[in-house]
Amino acid sequence: MKRHSVTVFALLLVSLTMLCAAGRPGPLPSPGGASVTGVVKFKGTAAKPTRIDMSADPYCAQAHPSGATTEELLTDTNGGLENVVVFVSDGLGTATFPVPDEPAVMEQKGCQYKPHVLAMRAGQKLNVVNSDATTHNIHPMPNNNREWNVSQPKGVPVEQVFAREEVAISVKCNIHPWMRSYIAVLKHPYFAVTGKDGRFELKDLPPGTYTLQAWHEKLGTKIQKITVAEGAPPTVEFTFQ
Amino acid sequence: MGFVRGRCWFGWVAAIVLLGAAVPAFGLPAFARKYNLRCSDCHEAWPKLNNFGQTFKDNGYQLMTGRDAPIYQQISYFPIAFRITPVWHRESSNRVAVDIIPGDAAGGQTESRVTTNAFNISGIDIWTVGTLYKNISFDVEPDFGNTGGIQLLSYFIRFDNLLDSRWLNLKVGKFELDTLISEDRELTLSDTGGFYRNYHFVPAGDRTNFGLGDHQLGAELLGHSRNDYTRYSISVLNSTDGQPDTPTSSYDVYTDFTQGFEVPKLGLQRVGLYGYVGERPTFFQTNNGAPIQGTGMGNRSFSRTGVYGLWYLGKFDLSTFYLHGQDNVFLGNGVQANQPFNLPAGAAGPTWNGGFVEAHYTYNPQLILFGRYETVQMSRQANPLTQRDLGDLKVWTVGYRWYPIMSSRAGLAWHQEYAIARSVGTAPLTGRDEVSSSFLTGFDFDF
Amino acid sequence: MTKVRRIAQALLVFYSLFSSAQESKIGGLTGNAKAGKALYRRYCITCHGVHGDGAGENAPHLDPKPRDFTRATFKCRSTPSGSLPTDSDLYNTISRGIYNTNMPSWEPLTRQQRADLVAYVKTFSTRFHEEPPVPPVPIPPEPSTSADSVKRGADLFQSLNCWSCHGKEGRGNGPSALTLTDSKGYPILPFDFSKGPHFKCGETARDLFKDLSTGLDGTPMPSFADALKPEQIWDVVHYIQTLREDNGGFFHRAKSELKVQ
Repeated sequence: MKRHSVTVFALLLVSLTMLCAAGRPGPLPSPGGASVTGVVKFKGTAAKPTRIDMSADPYCAQAHPSGATTEELLTDTNGGLENVVVFVSDGLGTATFPVPDEPAVMEQKGCQYKPHVLAMRAGQKLNVVNSDATTHNIHPMPNNNREWNVSQPKGVPVEQVFAREEVAISVKCNIHPWMRSYIAVLKHPYFAVTGKDGRFELKDLPPGTYTLQAWHEKLGTKIQKITVAEGAPPTVEFTFQ
Repeated sequence: MGFVRGRCWFGWVAAIVLLGAAVPAFGLPAFARKYNLRCSDCHEAWPKLNNFGQTFKDNGYQLMTGRDAPIYQQISYFPIAFRITPVWHRESSNRVAVDIIPGDAAGGQTESRVTTNAFNISGIDIWTVGTLYKNISFDVEPDFGNTGGIQLLSYFIRFDNLLDSRWLNLKVGKFELDTLISEDRELTLSDTGGFYRNYHFVPAGDRTNFGLGDHQLGAELLGHSRNDYTRYSISVLNSTDGQPDTPTSSYDVYTDFTQGFEVPKLGLQRVGLYGYVGERPTFFQTNNGAPIQGTGMGNRSFSRTGVYGLWYLGKFDLSTFYLHGQDNVFLGNGVQANQPFNLPAGAAGPTWNGGFVEAHYTYNPQLILFGRYETVQMSRQANPLTQRDLGDLKVWTVGYRWYPIMSSRAGLAWHQEYAIARSVGTAPLTGRDEVSSSFLTGFDFDF
Repeated sequence: MTKVRRIAQALLVFYSLFSSAQESKIGGLTGNAKAGKALYRRYCITCHGVHGDGAGENAPHLDPKPRDFTRATFKCRSTPSGSLPTDSDLYNTISRGIYNTNMPSWEPLTRQQRADLVAYVKTFSTRFHEEPPVPPVPIPPEPSTSADSVKRGADLFQSLNCWSCHGKEGRGNGPSALTLTDSKGYPILPFDFSKGPHFKCGETARDLFKDLSTGLDGTPMPSFADALKPEQIWDVVHYIQTLREDNGGFFHRAKSELKVQ
């Protein structure tokens, strides 16, 4: 797992500032806020995804008759970069946001994690689902949260919670060593994970100045400052190389 | 070594002791290297062992973690350690026999104070000890004395955890008698205070060749509980005080039993009970007057029995030791058992009582202060005409050790010590009390 | 650990040393962190390090590496995966040692000394202050072993993919065995059940049940508390016991579970 010590440090500094700042008022979420949209692009030639050898478990191998491939660096024909977590890292002040009741879901299907990168809230329930007829173990390896490791046969529900913000926690299955996913845990709702085309949208961001971060599991982190004004939703582009 | 008559015995004993019969064993950086532990894990202040180190030793120098066999060590590891003590010391004795006119042997003698000092090195001790295989351990300790000789202080093989039980271990060879107050691992180094008198004391005129602190040759069965609180040992030994290449005419027996118990807020306390019962021949078969080794006859017995304790009160601890010694009348008077007419009228087996209290203050693993008061008191002399307290001893020793380096690879101590001893009635010419003292300052290092 | 968190921890430790709260409770014993600190400096520092982060002077020479107490992730617990160990769990680990590692049994230390060490070890992570204590997993009495129980256990060993790490015969040579790393990224091997009863966290059947229920946090060994019912866990325990080839010696008998003494 790649260590994003700068990102973590920055996050913690932000958190500490938010804790220590004596009641500096932050913007409350307002439905009338603007959406920040954008795209994350990859410049250059991406290495082609390589074939995964799933022969260690016949069930996994037969779930991919034409073979499965790695998901570390996925781009589309326009250079859009998939599985980038884009989130607000500064500018929200000391505001807190209610945690949604619906759980985030991580599924094990075909001996791969779906989604490959999941973003969720600190304190939000995480449901782990095993749709495969083979037993997995779900083993997140956090730096800022409790580490747990649970065996999960098909159909057995697993529910856990991450209490603290962390971008991102790597998740693995020890039984199937090729399996890898990432969970980004945020303290606020202003985050998104880019799709196949590299596009993202952060909804309902109140007017103000913010720092946006884009995190990718292999390519690191990029930072940009944006200003959200009434009626002028910004578009943002991140470029990784 | 024949029997010694008269009042010079003290000098003989001291000389024999100083020639290396009780050169100490020491902290083993070899173990620290093997197990990646510091000296302070096993030693309160090396060489003195703490209970963790004593348990390690009693397990056959094994931590019992499954990785004790040498195959688990790096190939370059070798279980060997060295100890060297370069010091400066000053010795003083108040009643040494000297010629009245220096150089004139016929001009008569008087007693005079003699004080000497020098830089010195006690010799190089090399010790190799460890495991040959899981549950088979060994020890070889050669001593390279100042005088250029090499002798083997100890050498043994140990079969540990027989029948998979920690209560059954067998040791064969030459080794120190089992005790928790080990002279090999004492903290003192000086000529006067650097050995336990009670471990070597023999009354005036007594021909018994034995010291509790001398390494003996034989076989030992020993065992202990898992946390080493309960321990026992039984040995069968040559009646030759550990002399190698010497056939024996009988066998001695030694037994030691210790028990530990915890006292809340104070720590671990341990008490021990020991007894040595042995025989020595009073004469031999001879060939043209020369004794034939191993044909000792007229064996008579002697014993050393007593109790000891280790009392821990936080950083402060006490070691207490008591001994009752008893030698047969023939041994005590140096008379052959087939010539009882040579016994003086009213002769009896000498008996004596002795002991010491040794206090330590372990400020931290790198600084220990120590002090000891030791005494031996005759209760009955072998010859009724002898002054009852001839040979009685009182010894005071005080000092400290500071370990500037405490790592898992080597050890270094800065050692300061002062000791003073009074021996009753042993001045060579006047029969008055002898007082001798030592001051020692220097280094003690261990690799 | 980041600088910020280290400052926060230092402040917390500073506060806690001035409060009476740095204690451990094991049975009737109360351990004190201040006393434990002196003991730690003598006995533990060379491997576990001055800061309790497993970076002692000898750590580069050790495999497996010494525990990093600042993460508060422990293998041998009686609590669910992801939870803190109880004071007794830490006490038992110190007393028992961990076989096939450099962690010796510290039983020659007095009970009070071990309790003091537990109290001090807890000061290395703020989690012991922040997280409420979690009750241990319940361990029902063991049903007697039987051929059926062993068979059920063998089937579970297969269907739960235990063999993928531990191997078909439990020799620690499954197809995934060589890919395994612990949570610090160091290679780690699965247990070889043929080698005898010296499991990492105790030797008895009850200890095995606990291992399966709680998982060994910080390693690839997961918790089966969600996956299996207690009687199924006993079946797996019974099966694992049949994998042992070495009886541990003519007179060996599994030592009784380490009770708080």
